[in-house]
Amino acid sequence: MQASRARLFKEYKEVQREKVVDPDIQLVCDDSNIFKWTALIKGPSETPYEGGVFQLAFSVPEQYPLQPPQVRFLTKIFHPNVHFKTGEICLDILKNAWSPAWTLQSVCRAIIALMAHPEPDSPLNCDSGNLLRSGDIRGFQSMARMYTRLAAMPKKG
Amino acid sequence: MSKRVLCKFFAHGACLKGEHCEFSHDWKDPSNNICTFYQKGVCSYGSRCRYEHVKASQLQYSAESAPSSSANSLQHLVSCSVPVSHPYRTSSVGVGPVSGFPAELSASSIPFFPPVQPIWNQESGHHDLLDNGDVGELRSVNLADHSICSFAAAGNCPRGEKCPHIHGDLCPTCGKHCLHPFRPEEREEHLKTCEKKQKHLEALKHSQEIECSVCLERVLSKPTAAERKFGLLSECDHPFCISCIRNWRSSSPSSGLDVNSALRSCPICRKLSYFVIPSVIWYSTKEEKHEIVDSYKAKLRSIDCKHFDFGNGTCPFGTSCFYKHMVKPGSYLWNTTLMPDICRSSVLDLDDIEYSSDVMDMDAVLVLFEHLYRPHKPVGVEELEYKSDEDLENEVSMAEEMAFFPNADWV
Repeated sequence: MQASRARLFKEYKEVQREKVVDPDIQLVCDDSNIFKWTALIKGPSETPYEGGVFQLAFSVPEQYPLQPPQVRFLTKIFHPNVHFKTGEICLDILKNAWSPAWTLQSVCRAIIALMAHPEPDSPLNCDSGNLLRSGDIRGFQSMARMYTRLAAMPKKG
Repeated sequence: MSKRVLCKFFAHGACLKGEHCEFSHDWKDPSNNICTFYQKGVCSYGSRCRYEHVKASQLQYSAESAPSSSANSLQHLVSCSVPVSHPYRTSSVGVGPVSGFPAELSASSIPFFPPVQPIWNQESGHHDLLDNGDVGELRSVNLADHSICSFAAAGNCPRGEKCPHIHGDLCPTCGKHCLHPFRPEEREEHLKTCEKKQKHLEALKHSQEIECSVCLERVLSKPTAAERKFGLLSECDHPFCISCIRNWRSSSPSSGLDVNSALRSCPICRKLSYFVIPSVIWYSTKEEKHEIVDSYKAKLRSIDCKHFDFGNGTCPFGTSCFYKHMVKPGSYLWNTTLMPDICRSSVLDLDDIEYSSDVMDMDAVLVLFEHLYRPHKPVGVEELEYKSDEDLENEVSMAEEMAFFPNADWV
């Protein structure tokens, strides 16, 4: 309990310091609860998610950093490894390959990398996974781009 | 003599020995207030110690001399001379109360004066308080018996060239004039310890900056002493606190984490390490790491494994256990795997013993030759259990040959 708090506080300070360094990630801690964080990440360029801003919700367990934080997308996203309805993310480092050396910041980076390199063989979103597995890259890209426009971009007008 | 020293317990109002106490229960007698740690070499309290820091030569006398005269006792404390004015000691040692007798000369004639005690040479200049200026006489005796000037050893001597005491040579490591020119062992000792200390200090300084990647704090800035230790992984060079890395490695696999690819591996490089070694300093070279690991393992090897329990238990680590696995006679392992064979195959030998001398108890014989029979090497339970009977037979008969070989000389 005490250890996780101390560690999160350290991370908080680090985030304040690094804000300028990484423009793709904006990590914010809940005002009243250091175990709840939200992050805004920019969709990586040269992907259908480019131009979108996606919101992530972090729920940090008390055993952190011995146990991984729970992360899910709050913004709708069409991606084979993200559950379309709940926003749950299928990423090994958030499950069996977690390491206490990861920070919330580095988890965000890993999620950005996952957006650029989807793993269609372990899909949470079967429609998206099937499109990719059947080789319909164009179909997948246009679906993903459409949802990015619908959900992750500021409404125009 | 001890009757004259005030009992410490009596002084606090609670001596359980009462009349039979070997120390004095008379308030008029002086108390023995000498720091025994200083006597042995180093007192970690230094100048803050509440006990008196006097040398070993003073041990016997200072208690007696304390009440006699303040000036006299001061002399005893600051010099290393025999208390010349005290009638008891002077007569027994055979040194007359010669005024201006060279302090160091008489000190060297006392048999229990420890020959090598570098700390006294670094002590602030007490010799100079008892300066008798008899330089000629000093030089005429063996130079190795003189202590060096402690002012010079501490930094600089105000008398410079005119100082009647020997000025030590400069130690290249600590930069003090504390090397005795005529005591080679002492020089050697000082150089060795000084270098070691310096190395340790440097390593410690270097280690201050190192952060643990799990708690993101500096390992040596942690609140409790138990946490201010590094946990070295055997296969890679990433630093962690011992508590952080141990917590991580022992966290339950039921939480969905892979044991080998996540828990047992380095959190940073994911290299699999089978053990963690605690260390107060962080290493900078491979050799230093080896040294830390080896000394840790050596320490563990001297401790009996509590799982193995001298052959009564089962150690899950088997032959790769770091702790000592010693089979005690009479233990489960001894009785089940070794005893019957010995009894069976050693009938002849036993007969020999019985004919030639008094009836010997079998157990007594075994205990006598235990060291020959079972070398103190770690032996896993598995190793013994899965041996075929033949193997065991061979091993036993060989060992037993060794054990009973000295029979002829022995009886």
